[in-house]
Amino acid sequence: MLDIQDSIPTADHDDPISSDPRTFAAKVNSWVPHDIVLKDAWFPLAHSTSVGTKPVRRAIYSQPFFLWRESGQPVASEFHPAEGLSASKSEYSDAQGRYPVMEKYGFVWGWFGNPANAAPQHLPDIPYLPEEGGVPEHMIGTVRFDCCAPLSLENLIDLTHADFLHADVVGDEKMDKETVEVFHDSETITMVRTCVNKSVAPVMKWFGGVRSDVQQVRQVIRIYLRSHVAMAYGRFSPGDNVQLFHPCVPETRDRTRLDYVMNTTNVKKRNPFRYIMPTASYKVSRQDSSMTSPQSPRYMRPEARKDLHSPLDEAGQKYRVLMLALAERQARGDFEYRDDVSADCSELIGYDGT
Amino acid sequence: MTEAVWWAVARSEEISKDKPVNVDIGDQPIVLWRDSDGIVRALEDRCPHRRAPLSLGCVLGSGMIQCGYHGWTFDGANGQLVDIPNLKSERKFPPVYRARAFGVTESGGFIRVCLDAKTPQPAPAEETLPLSGTENVALDHDQYINALFDDPALVIGIRGVRFSPYLMAELKEQDGRLVLERSCQWASPHWPAPFSSDFPITLKISTDPASGESDLLLRDDQFNPLLRATLAPVPGARGVTQVRWRAKLEAKRPGLMAKAMGLGDPLTVHSHVDGAALRVQKPSASIHAVELRKEIAARTERQETAA
Repeated sequence: MLDIQDSIPTADHDDPISSDPRTFAAKVNSWVPHDIVLKDAWFPLAHSTSVGTKPVRRAIYSQPFFLWRESGQPVASEFHPAEGLSASKSEYSDAQGRYPVMEKYGFVWGWFGNPANAAPQHLPDIPYLPEEGGVPEHMIGTVRFDCCAPLSLENLIDLTHADFLHADVVGDEKMDKETVEVFHDSETITMVRTCVNKSVAPVMKWFGGVRSDVQQVRQVIRIYLRSHVAMAYGRFSPGDNVQLFHPCVPETRDRTRLDYVMNTTNVKKRNPFRYIMPTASYKVSRQDSSMTSPQSPRYMRPEARKDLHSPLDEAGQKYRVLMLALAERQARGDFEYRDDVSADCSELIGYDGT
Repeated sequence: MTEAVWWAVARSEEISKDKPVNVDIGDQPIVLWRDSDGIVRALEDRCPHRRAPLSLGCVLGSGMIQCGYHGWTFDGANGQLVDIPNLKSERKFPPVYRARAFGVTESGGFIRVCLDAKTPQPAPAEETLPLSGTENVALDHDQYINALFDDPALVIGIRGVRFSPYLMAELKEQDGRLVLERSCQWASPHWPAPFSSDFPITLKISTDPASGESDLLLRDDQFNPLLRATLAPVPGARGVTQVRWRAKLEAKRPGLMAKAMGLGDPLTVHSHVDGAALRVQKPSASIHAVELRKEIAARTERQETAA
């Protein structure tokens, strides 16, 4: 049994998601994620612990970002110090080749876009990460995908894939009832999946001390569209809540970098789940990559054949349309944030501090 | 496409005054040799008399090439017939008695030929890289370059270096060339590439959109150059790609793995491609290359029309 509920957009402007099914379907099927390059956004370029006095190199859509610290403060530059200021400086950095930079939630964030538009309020809210960082090292890591970032995020927001591709980690499709709700505004999309009596996730059964055969699950995926970052927040009963920060930084249009935080500080220290769950990213990411890697070249050009969709794809379809709407607005020169990405989203994702 | 391109059809050391050499540009056979002044000459490898390959003949002391079949002798500078030995006469031959001559230039240890004599010559190279080699690969020219873009390991090897699937910069046009930068790891025990935060080295590939001639630069994360190379793939007969290459290992190479590159050949150009690996290699950069070449060609056409 599947119920789909929709939501009312929060913006005062026209909703990018048309109520006309034909218009909506046309948008969904014009999806060429490879061509989407969104600007004026903060990207989590590196874990704070990765940035020291020696420059490290990152990229957003091939645009080089060199990160290091001066007097403890992070610096983001278009040029390596050994390279000097090149004559081919881009419009994304200031006269010294420096980008706007922030440090929050244990990440160094770089601004990609017009430096004059950089503002702290455009940095996404992540309620379950401490603003000052400091999550234990074993809860952070890096994984990479050789696919375009929007495909990675479309993969994430479609949680039904997990029942098959990641069944050995998070459990299979067996359950009594599934409900999917989708909320959106012009800058975010949030999918809430509620499962009744779902097969227990093996990782919780084997390492988390969950003894029952089924559990009640509420999984939330919230994507900040421009920054290409996602939260994956799961409440499990019985079981511990899962707090994953899942950025998909587009290093190029066809390669994605994921500096994740699996914050299991909510799990008791004597519970192995606290230490095992962060390492699940290595297994799960390879499973995802096995599908998204061959998918990616097939989304690099407009395709005459339309994708087929099921009602379970609602969140993914809306993600496509919202991303396209942002891209179209930016193509017209409109880079305004119509919705506040830094507003507290705890209530929406159901986070109560645990 | 092949007409207005300067193709690196030979390395300097492959061509001598002693013996003519046959090369191809696509289905066009060419004979190369050096004349008495050491200047490289290029004619169609086809005697206009009875179509015998001139490369089966010899180079005379005068620097002219003589067909091995009936001794017809040609001036490499313009292809003009200068002698038919059996005629025993001093007669001059009309201009139509000539072999087809091609533009030829030598620079940076490569000999380049252009089938269209009106095409401007490339700028001379600043340096001749000391290491070099030639391979003939049973893969067509376009697919050879696509393989280089999508996974260099299919066509080359660099001592101690493992190419990752991840790019620092995707294929883009820079000053009329196709340029990408690939993240690499040293081939020592290390954290797997899909889970690596940082890579110690990158390989920058800068490719001419028409000829596919590619400059390779391996450098470390502090921008120290470690290896420079030029790879010159030329379409040959029957879909074979002839690859001439030159390389130089930089003398100053910080780090143990970089220093160990000097133990043996630092660059290997594979003589064959692993078909099983090639078939399943997903295209990515090569898809960009198709689009970029179209854009460059359209722009060039507009500029020529405007001129």
